Amino acid sequence: MSCLDDFAQYPPEWCPGCGNFDLLDCLKQALCDLGLQPHEIINVIGIGQASKLGFSLKCNMFDGLHGRALPVVLGIKMANPAVKVIATSGDGCFYAEGGNHFIHNLRRNLDVAILASDNRVYGLTKGQASPTSASDFKTKVHIEGVGALPLNPAALALVSGATFVARTFTGAKAEATELIKKALLHRGAAVIDIMSPCVSFNKVNTFAWFRQRAKPIGPDHDVTDLHAALKLAFHDDEHIPTGVLYQTRRPVFGDHLTVMQGESIVQRTLRFTPDRVRPLFKDFY
Amino acid sequence: MADLNIIIAGAAGQGVQSAGEILGKTLLRLGFYVYATQDYQSRVRGGHNFMRIRFGDRPLIAQVRHSNYLLALNEESLRLHLPDLDPQGLALCMTDDQGAVDDPRIRALADEVGPRSARGEKFVGVKLLSLLFTALGFGPATLSGAVQAEMGKRLKPELLQANLEAIAAVAAVVAKGDVHPLPFGPDPSEPRMLVSGNDAISLGMVAGGVGVYASYPMTPASSIMESLAAFGPRVGVAVEQTEDEIAALNLAIGAAYAGARAAAGSSGAGMCLMSEAMGLAGITETPVVIIDGQRPGPAVGMATRTEQSDLLFLVHASQGEFPRAILAPADHADGFYLAAEAFNLAERWHIPVFLMDDQAYADALRSVPEFDVSRVKIDRGPLAPEPETPQVLRRYEVTESGVSPRAYPALSKWIVCCDSHEHDEYGRLTDNLQNRDRQNHKRMKKLDGIAAEFPGPEIVGDPDGTLLLCWGSTVGPVLEALEQLRGRGHRLGVAIFRHLFPVNAPKVQAALSPAKRLITIEMNYRGQLGQLLRMEAGIATHGHIGKTDGRGFTVEDVVARVEPLLGGAS
Repeated sequence: MSCLDDFAQYPPEWCPGCGNFDLLDCLKQALCDLGLQPHEIINVIGIGQASKLGFSLKCNMFDGLHGRALPVVLGIKMANPAVKVIATSGDGCFYAEGGNHFIHNLRRNLDVAILASDNRVYGLTKGQASPTSASDFKTKVHIEGVGALPLNPAALALVSGATFVARTFTGAKAEATELIKKALLHRGAAVIDIMSPCVSFNKVNTFAWFRQRAKPIGPDHDVTDLHAALKLAFHDDEHIPTGVLYQTRRPVFGDHLTVMQGESIVQRTLRFTPDRVRPLFKDFY
Repeated sequence: MADLNIIIAGAAGQGVQSAGEILGKTLLRLGFYVYATQDYQSRVRGGHNFMRIRFGDRPLIAQVRHSNYLLALNEESLRLHLPDLDPQGLALCMTDDQGAVDDPRIRALADEVGPRSARGEKFVGVKLLSLLFTALGFGPATLSGAVQAEMGKRLKPELLQANLEAIAAVAAVVAKGDVHPLPFGPDPSEPRMLVSGNDAISLGMVAGGVGVYASYPMTPASSIMESLAAFGPRVGVAVEQTEDEIAALNLAIGAAYAGARAAAGSSGAGMCLMSEAMGLAGITETPVVIIDGQRPGPAVGMATRTEQSDLLFLVHASQGEFPRAILAPADHADGFYLAAEAFNLAERWHIPVFLMDDQAYADALRSVPEFDVSRVKIDRGPLAPEPETPQVLRRYEVTESGVSPRAYPALSKWIVCCDSHEHDEYGRLTDNLQNRDRQNHKRMKKLDGIAAEFPGPEIVGDPDGTLLLCWGSTVGPVLEALEQLRGRGHRLGVAIFRHLFPVNAPKVQAALSPAKRLITIEMNYRGQLGQLLRMEAGIATHGHIGKTDGRGFTVEDVVARVEPLLGGAS
């Protein structure tokens, strides 16, 4: 059996042509290239079409609530900091329902690879606007257009404190695979803004639309330069830079906590006995 | 059997709490039993705060309104608390704070007493304490020793010296007629700790193996987060203050999935935000403990006050149906043992377990013998035997008890898939109709198993007269009132509920059936325990004594509300 087969789980149920098929292929390839095993990693997913990727990837999986994947990751990492965790979901999950968690877990520099598939529309609930929909995007609800500005995922990730920020397009599978590998190897909060077409509900931002506009970042870009990265984040819609925008190192969540050094809480829990409370009693006499 | 009650009152920021803590610790170390409650407002300066510190020669379980000494840090405190002061009592204050209040029980101290280095507001607390200790017949060394022990490390040497000189100088000016040595002595038969309700819970959580705790600051639950954070490096508890309560419970669920014993805590408003994740714990069958420090609602309610009005909310919180358990400590020892038990319940049944307290309990300090750690056992529930090769665990295998063995992901070869949707035995999303019923029934039947191992209420006093049904912070004052009322010839009993949900209907019915009349007494309007018993066990109560002013019951409150219902002594 090939490595890719090891990660195969249930067949996906997306519409033919959905960008998430490509994302699933890239993720499996990245995991295989890095020599990871299904029982060694945890994929935490939210709710939405992108999240359903979780059921087609054989590995430890926690399917949480809409928007709440990252707090679950935080809990997992507090209990077991060594485990490699991926958070997979879409624009509605990470930026609408989960916006608060997205910001604060990037501030924490939570050690997780965030794969944020962005099709600029709600697929699961059939065609409503997402936080990344263009302001003139019309839906069954926004019959006169969304009005609000689209959220800029890469810029939000940068100002929130992510230490790895990249952008890619599911049509550029080689690039996407390499970026996922880099995100998985990065120690800290890694965000990949993955542009992914929705063939059923977004007739504007189509595969061809993204393909025309996605342009790899040139070799002159200094990935450690936050201001240069922000410039690349604020693209115009005719020319969307893809690749690594930013990568830096700073302590990850838990590095500053004595209790999270050494043996993990999960390992210690296996040996906890009620006697551990005894030394605390003297504080109360 | 005797006790005295001291009130320390003043504005926020005047040092009511630090004076109260010194007093409480000193009395504890002298070998007295102590029970102290805090009444405070949601403000850092000003307003009116007070502590009631009761001490005696026997275990004390409740606060009383009647007081023997009043330490008034401002004029308002004299006005507010003189009505509850015993006719033979003393009200101690500084001359400047007496204002226009005139009462023969007032003893006002001039600021000039003591060294020049000990003048002004900062020394009021210690000077009034010196008056009090002298009046109680303790030598000045008692207080000096306590101040050195409690504050010696925090104060600059010259400031400490000023405090010690002030104590001695003030002690010397107390009139001989005001010195009334205690009519009772200490009971040094065993060493005792002074713990708040939330301390007891925090310690119990540590004994029970908590490894991860998440919360967002909210009175009266914050002190658990602060205690666990302080204990954390010593015993291995990772604590995170999350961006909101939604994150707190999702975090705890993630940590529990990974194999830690995890909990999240807040007050009622936080429970509202956690509701969605309670259902997540329910359907993913993730063992997690949730602590609700109740205060009056709805919405922001009264931030620093108490109520017991979240019970039916937590019985039902979150959409859909899933098994859960609700525990409530009736005293400080319960807080310790039930907090530890909560983790066992959660991990044996793979459910969310609620531990409910309320502000009156959370902040109440009580002297207790050291908790018996040998009574705590850690039972981590059923685990799947390790497979030879990596494979997906039947995490939701249908079993007789409803509990399916679990595994800790990334620590074993099992691939563990948990799903917030309805799912099959392997954790795969499906809306297949037969599967839905199998999985839903598997989860829901846990309630029968849990209820079967829960005890009924503890009955104290007469089981066959009027029975007062209570839980949580109400239990202490009700038990003390019971003594008084039975002493006056009333046929009266108390039913104490600790395991609130699921209800073991046969055991509850058996315990309550001898009673002629059932009256609930709770800090809420509608009698939620009574509503619960009617709903779950078909038990009809005959009346409800409610209290919703946000202040915990005193013994006098209970007597005044219960006695009229009892008629003449039987």
